[in-house]
Amino acid sequence: MLTTGLISWWYIDGYKLFASRIWTKLGDTADFFSIGSLLRTLFAPYRQISANASGNSIDAKFMAFLDRLVSRLVGGVARLGIILFGIIVIILQLILSIASLVIWPLLPVIPIICIILSIMGVTIWIK
Amino acid sequence: MDQINQYNPNSARAKYARLGHTLGSPLLTGLLVIALILALVFGGILVFSCNALGWLAIGIADIILILIIYIKMLFVKVPLGKTDNINDILSSNVLALLGQKPTVKMVASSLMKTRSGNFLALRFGLIPRLLEGVASDLPEDMVPIFETSRKIAKKINASQISGGIIAIAIIENHPNHEEILSRMRLDLGDLYEGITWYNYLHGLVKDSKKKRRDGGIGRDFTFGFTPLLSRFGQNISASRSLTTKTQLFRASNQEAIAQMTEIFSRTGRQNVALIGPDGCGRSTIVNAFSELLLDANSKINRDLKYRQIFKLDAGSIIGGTGGQGDIERLVTGLLNEAYSAKNIIIYLNNAHLFFENGVGSVDISNLLLPVLEAGKLRMILSLDEQRFLEISAKNPALANVLNKIMIAPSNEEETIKIMEDQVPFLEFKHKVTYTYWSLKEAYRLGDRYVKNVAMPGKAIRVLEDAARYARGGLVFGESVSEAIEKSEGVKLQTANDSTEEKNKLLNLEKLIHERMIDQEPAVHAVSDALRRAAVGVRNENKPIGTYLFLGPTGVGKTELAKALAEVYFNGESEIIRIDMNEYVESTDVNRLIAEGSVDAMSLAAQVQKHPFSVVLLDEIEKASPQVLTTLLQMLDEGILRDAKNREISFRDAIVICTSNAGADVIREKIQNGEKYENLKNEIVNQLISNREFKPEFLNRFDEICLFKPLSKDDLGKICDLLIAGVNKTLAPQKIAVSLAEDAKDVLIEAGYDPLLGARPMRRIVSKTVENIVAKASLSGDISSGSNIIISKAEIEEELK
Repeated sequence: MLTTGLISWWYIDGYKLFASRIWTKLGDTADFFSIGSLLRTLFAPYRQISANASGNSIDAKFMAFLDRLVSRLVGGVARLGIILFGIIVIILQLILSIASLVIWPLLPVIPIICIILSIMGVTIWIK
Repeated sequence: MDQINQYNPNSARAKYARLGHTLGSPLLTGLLVIALILALVFGGILVFSCNALGWLAIGIADIILILIIYIKMLFVKVPLGKTDNINDILSSNVLALLGQKPTVKMVASSLMKTRSGNFLALRFGLIPRLLEGVASDLPEDMVPIFETSRKIAKKINASQISGGIIAIAIIENHPNHEEILSRMRLDLGDLYEGITWYNYLHGLVKDSKKKRRDGGIGRDFTFGFTPLLSRFGQNISASRSLTTKTQLFRASNQEAIAQMTEIFSRTGRQNVALIGPDGCGRSTIVNAFSELLLDANSKINRDLKYRQIFKLDAGSIIGGTGGQGDIERLVTGLLNEAYSAKNIIIYLNNAHLFFENGVGSVDISNLLLPVLEAGKLRMILSLDEQRFLEISAKNPALANVLNKIMIAPSNEEETIKIMEDQVPFLEFKHKVTYTYWSLKEAYRLGDRYVKNVAMPGKAIRVLEDAARYARGGLVFGESVSEAIEKSEGVKLQTANDSTEEKNKLLNLEKLIHERMIDQEPAVHAVSDALRRAAVGVRNENKPIGTYLFLGPTGVGKTELAKALAEVYFNGESEIIRIDMNEYVESTDVNRLIAEGSVDAMSLAAQVQKHPFSVVLLDEIEKASPQVLTTLLQMLDEGILRDAKNREISFRDAIVICTSNAGADVIREKIQNGEKYENLKNEIVNQLISNREFKPEFLNRFDEICLFKPLSKDDLGKICDLLIAGVNKTLAPQKIAVSLAEDAKDVLIEAGYDPLLGARPMRRIVSKTVENIVAKASLSGDISSGSNIIISKAEIEEELK
């Protein structure tokens, strides 16, 4: 009775709980890198560095335009860097998550496999 | 009913819970983790060293891993079952305690081991000894306990039956539960509130473990740097803890947040003025709003998301600059920076300080008004309602440009909820534990005694003060009373708390008569009022007592007030005496109600400083009718409004007005043998018909007491009191004075004056007895240890 309950929990409720935790962690990582927000503002001026440039002369306007351009370029590079890094981290986490989800149902079987491997005398030999 | 409430110790949940109880200790988990690592490393080494036994070690590591997962994810917190059966809805820590054949008594003794049971024991006094005392030894009695627990859980909307719920059910199932609880000043509703409180705090702890999503690493890339604001302001958004969340228990506060969101989401003037009295929760609303803006999951306009709120204080701005010009330049810089950064909402806390000149305030309305009118920079202003009215009168354009949201003080239910939310922070800060009763007392007494702050601020302030009076780390209702007594100068502890106090109250008449003679009706009246107040059976929305003493001069009217102050109100200094013959003009009302900073000796100021006192309004008949009208509300409701319209409470004072009006009639009628009881109505009617007092004024008093003229017998007793007074003065010199019997008769004869009462006697004693002692002392006839008996001849000699 107890064993049946434990096994059924492992493959039904426990698995669901494990999957939901993995999903939450993926969400947290995605939020940390805020890729959606970075993409939306990809070429917005970085930290409003150019925001104070003002004046009515052509020179001032040209300088303000240059400031903004540089600020946008800096912002674009910084955001792209983070987006790329974030995507890599998320992909790696996704791979690990899928692997965990695959391993979970196998965990109760692993001791049996280990006993068989031990009886069979399987070893890993490194030269 | 019995079937679904039948506990099964062999159910899967019960077994898991017991396993969790046995295996769930952090030490065992730590050991398992170490064993897992060792087995894995050992197995790996063996397998890579051509030893197939290594697989067995890896297999063991796997089993340990599975065990850890079971402990952490299943045993320690067994999920609820899917049916309505008691075995499916009992919490896992209760299941772990029940054992094979539980009885109510066994369960009662172990409930402290559950967090909710412990919570109720500490804060509500539901300790194991009490529960065991009302619990039975029969296993079958668990069924009705489970049934009641189920009903309680349903009533308070709890998903599972915790230890706390079972503790309440044990009490509730006892036939005399109302009596048991009333002895602890509780009822079942309080206990239900208690377990709801526990569940709420438990939920907060659970939520705090969840990671909050607040925009991530690139959130602020688009927004500007704010060095000046960071120096002179406080970033509320950054200072909000990532793990706590401001709770809004009041529907009105939630509406205020919705209004703020709506105002800042639409086009138009981007400002919000939160207007309400200090302590009503304006800052809480701003904090909650800042959290809403930073919450990635909130359903608000994208343009508002991740905006940060910077609080500006007039004090730090004034302190950081020189004159008005510098201040204006700094504020301009701050506003420009906020506008350029694109993600800042400026919060002017106590905004009135930016619209008036004074100590700690600066008027920069000429600078702020155009910014508010343009509406390009989002701003939140928080203002006291009275100050807002003053600013509106002075600067209507400013008042018109603001989007006003009125914040009202919280009611009792809301305040208790807010205190329940704040208690963990206060407990952490003061290292104490608050009982539920202390929360209720903080509301009740805070509401009554703390002025100039609104709810819930005043209740929280009282709770903080009460922490200093904790006993054994627990803050009780008495701790709150003590804190209020010390901070407000009132007397709250009832006579039930002290034997000395009880004796004093029971013998009050005797104690008063130690310094005044006769006038029994008046002495009884004031003594009864104090006894009622001391045991808490009086109307708390009135002064302790209001009395009008009528009678000739020198018969003890003022003396009774003084005696009362000395005997019960911590000494004669606690008497607030106002001579009403100084308030004969209608304009004198202003002096009577002047606030403390203008006139420290006004009635309003003195009572504000000493609320627990005897207020003596002497010669009340001489006051102007306007002054008497001003006093009506004070006599009726115990409230007098000062010049600034603030309520001054007289509810802890005893108010005594004295008057000589009708004195001749009283003297005449008493001397003609008319009975005191019949005389009162006649005198009162005469005072009204003579227009000395208006009926509505006389009707406000609890009692009108007539003071009889003193007889020669009375004067003899007064003489004894005066001699006792002389002896008290001479006590440090170890000299005692007494009168020969015939000498006393001479004094009485000389000091008796039906028109002037006891005063001539006081003068005669001073002139004779004190003079005799003084001369004897100077001539060396007496020294320390002497006992002088003054003869008739000596008195007569002095009277010549």
